[in-house]
Amino acid sequence: MTSREQILANIRHKRPQGPALPDIHAVPFIRFDDLFAAFSNLIGNLGGSAVQLQPGESVLDAVRQRWPQHGRLVDLTAATQPQTAQPHDWHDVDVAIVPGEVAVAESAAVWVSHADNQWRSLYFLTQKLVLVVPRDAIVDTMRDAYDRIAIREHGFGSFISGSSRTADIEQSLVMGAHGAMAALVVFV
Amino acid sequence: MKNDNINHAEAAAAFLQDREQARWHDSAIWWVRQKRDAQAKQLPEWEQLRSLAQQIKAHTLSRLDEYLEQFQRNAEHNGVSVHWAADADEHNRIVHGILAAANVKKLVKSKSMLTEECGLNPYLEQRGIEVIDTDLGERIVQLRHEPPSHIVMPAIHLKKEQISELFHKELGTEAGNNDPTYLTHAARANLREHFLTADAGLTGVNFAIAETGGVVVCTNEGNADLGTALPPIHIASMGLEKIIPRLEHLGVFTRLLARSAIGSPITTYTSHFHRARPGGQMHIVIVDNGRSDILGNDDFYQSLRCIRCGACMNTCPVYRRSTGHSYSYIIPGPIGSTLGPSRDIKKHGSMAFACTTCGSCSNVCPVKINLHEQLILQRKRAFDAGTLKPAKKMGLLAMRFLTRHPSLMDAGGKVMRKVVPILPQTLTQHSAWSRPGRELPEMPAQSFKEMWRARQEKKHD
Amino acid sequence: MKVALFIPCFVNELYPHVAMATAELLEGYGIEVVYPLEQSCCGQPASNNGDSQGACDAARRFTGVFKDYDYIVSPSGSCTSHVKHHYGWYIAEDADYQRLQPKVYEIVEFLQDVLQVDKLPKPVYFPHPVSIHQSCHGLRELHHAAPSELMIPYHSRLERILQLVDGVEVRLPERRDECCGFGGTFSVDEPEVSVAMGEDRVAQHEATGAEFIVGADPSCLMHMGGIIRHKCRTIRPLHIVEILTGRGGAA
Repeated sequence: MTSREQILANIRHKRPQGPALPDIHAVPFIRFDDLFAAFSNLIGNLGGSAVQLQPGESVLDAVRQRWPQHGRLVDLTAATQPQTAQPHDWHDVDVAIVPGEVAVAESAAVWVSHADNQWRSLYFLTQKLVLVVPRDAIVDTMRDAYDRIAIREHGFGSFISGSSRTADIEQSLVMGAHGAMAALVVFV
Repeated sequence: MKNDNINHAEAAAAFLQDREQARWHDSAIWWVRQKRDAQAKQLPEWEQLRSLAQQIKAHTLSRLDEYLEQFQRNAEHNGVSVHWAADADEHNRIVHGILAAANVKKLVKSKSMLTEECGLNPYLEQRGIEVIDTDLGERIVQLRHEPPSHIVMPAIHLKKEQISELFHKELGTEAGNNDPTYLTHAARANLREHFLTADAGLTGVNFAIAETGGVVVCTNEGNADLGTALPPIHIASMGLEKIIPRLEHLGVFTRLLARSAIGSPITTYTSHFHRARPGGQMHIVIVDNGRSDILGNDDFYQSLRCIRCGACMNTCPVYRRSTGHSYSYIIPGPIGSTLGPSRDIKKHGSMAFACTTCGSCSNVCPVKINLHEQLILQRKRAFDAGTLKPAKKMGLLAMRFLTRHPSLMDAGGKVMRKVVPILPQTLTQHSAWSRPGRELPEMPAQSFKEMWRARQEKKHD
Repeated sequence: MKVALFIPCFVNELYPHVAMATAELLEGYGIEVVYPLEQSCCGQPASNNGDSQGACDAARRFTGVFKDYDYIVSPSGSCTSHVKHHYGWYIAEDADYQRLQPKVYEIVEFLQDVLQVDKLPKPVYFPHPVSIHQSCHGLRELHHAAPSELMIPYHSRLERILQLVDGVEVRLPERRDECCGFGGTFSVDEPEVSVAMGEDRVAQHEATGAEFIVGADPSCLMHMGGIIRHKCRTIRPLHIVEILTGRGGAA
């Protein structure tokens, strides 16, 4: 018998009784009156910030306003997509502008993914991460967000909430553990 | 790896010698409990959310074989290689096999209690593979050659001065610079080099989705993401209890995990891995290592619902005053004190006694495991396995006898009340009761039974 | 109504005045109180140390002694909880136990839920600040109060019953329901941790400025009392029934 067969046989033999799966949509979850305000207040505590573009303003304007002097910038929302030979090539990126699909008010998280799964190192190597989200794509809770993403089409996808952080030294919160040191979410 | 022979009471007493450090440890971790409370309070549905999570996990365990098979089918359909390991040794052999076939020299790892449980690091190091733990806390304890003391905050037993000294020696940081930001960023620079030069990345798994065949890994640091986005090989090691049936169930668990663990609404990165990058490989190793046996135990199978948030440790008043290093099993605190004895009652049975049965752990648990009751039930197994100290066992047998003979118990009580007050202090001060700074209660002249009898006689007079 | 007193073994020997206050309190409400002299340990120490044979014997014995009374009432939350919630591990199928189980009450529960009292038998004036000590089994197993971990509406039996006492000022310690560290035989199996927990707890009660620590479990009060006496502190542990019978000042 292979280990697989052995393990599955043991489970079949020993598995306990259990309830039916609950209907997770039957429980009312928290709702926010102002989704952007909830998102924006929360991300402020998580090493990030959120802005809504004003008429006539571009994402690049918002980026330059925040970081007037920045290093290498890569924009995945641009018409022509940048190319690299290997994922390591993004190691010196300062600002990455990345499209986000859904934003979640309760957690200040943004769903980031790409069907062919090839730019993902950029999301984590960049020093500053800019997530661009349509302003009507903001939902209350994670449950709502999972209802909207088609996860299997993506080899990789991540909910990103604020900037990379750690409190592993004496519980002191430090921004910039391994990933982005700062995060900006731009609602367009 | 951890020393199996740790006795909790002795190790805790040693830790408490430095009362100032112990108080710091207690309040640092209590602060995390308070952050958890604050987050939970913000959700009117918190208790219902716990019930949903409990029910989803309980359901999954009742059909675990079916969901594991479904998971494998879907993962393979996505192009992921799925491996099965019956025990720690097989897990380590599988991982080494994958790495050796690709001639891997350096592996970057994100946090995985499972690989601690399996002793993966020494196994690979003995075979010439460099293993770099990349979670900051894990990296700190790896450089100190010690096990993590907490499953979410591995280095919470250390003060920043100790970490500064370590980094000065190992990473060349300025001597005496204890600033956490400075130290963290020094580790960031050092570990970036490792991420960029690694040949493979290994992660744990927080959730495995049967419906889609993907795995979810949650970190705040982004180390699991860098460790899998750069090297071409990703290995995900998972205990077989990590399965959830459907994608939508993440809408429950991602709401509970970080709130319970660290008092944040969510981790910075909640990453979903379904396929390797173009040209890369993705492997999932499903590990049993005793879990399917626990599934068959009526008293303890609930422990397999655990999502490893660590909230039970943060609330445990004993854990906070003794550190994770006082527990013999690799997972400390309440959940470790049922998992450890389930694994090996002779080695870890005493952990179940490192508990006042206060029950706070059961109340914070996001999947509602009856933790404190499990510890009492593990004591039964410890007693039956003959692991109790002879004096304690004798005392219990005497208690059995006295319970059956209350008049003898009364006589004994009377002797105690008469003798204790006249004992010289030199005799009582070394007793386990008094030694650490606690007086014996005052001994009343009469027991209640004596008072009651006298009262009844008076009434009848 | 015939109520049997269940007086835990250590209360019988060490806190007879708490047992007597419990009896007098019940009698004050016109209740016929009996004290079955053949009672003995409820078996919690055996159960908590894994001795299932000892625990089972004690459970059967307890059931035999108490099964015929209308109610069984005790001044100890922990022992009450063991009988009410853990005997099922040993004698769940026992028909006598099934009948007895819903009749077992901790004294405050009994006053509030069965007698539904809205005043004390004799008016009590107790003009002192007191700090409430929630004992763990009363709190988390008997639901004496809303535990701080659960996101449920706040309630507290001790605070509610103290509203019947004139002049008393109720305070809550920081970490309102952390364990004092007694834990039965834990107190001698892990004495250093036990005392460290107790010292912290006493300090938190003292920091409220209270003169008394008030609880419904003599075991926790014994443990904290031992620490208080060792450190020669002035705060005093007091069982709730001592206040309700107007004996608090003299305790």
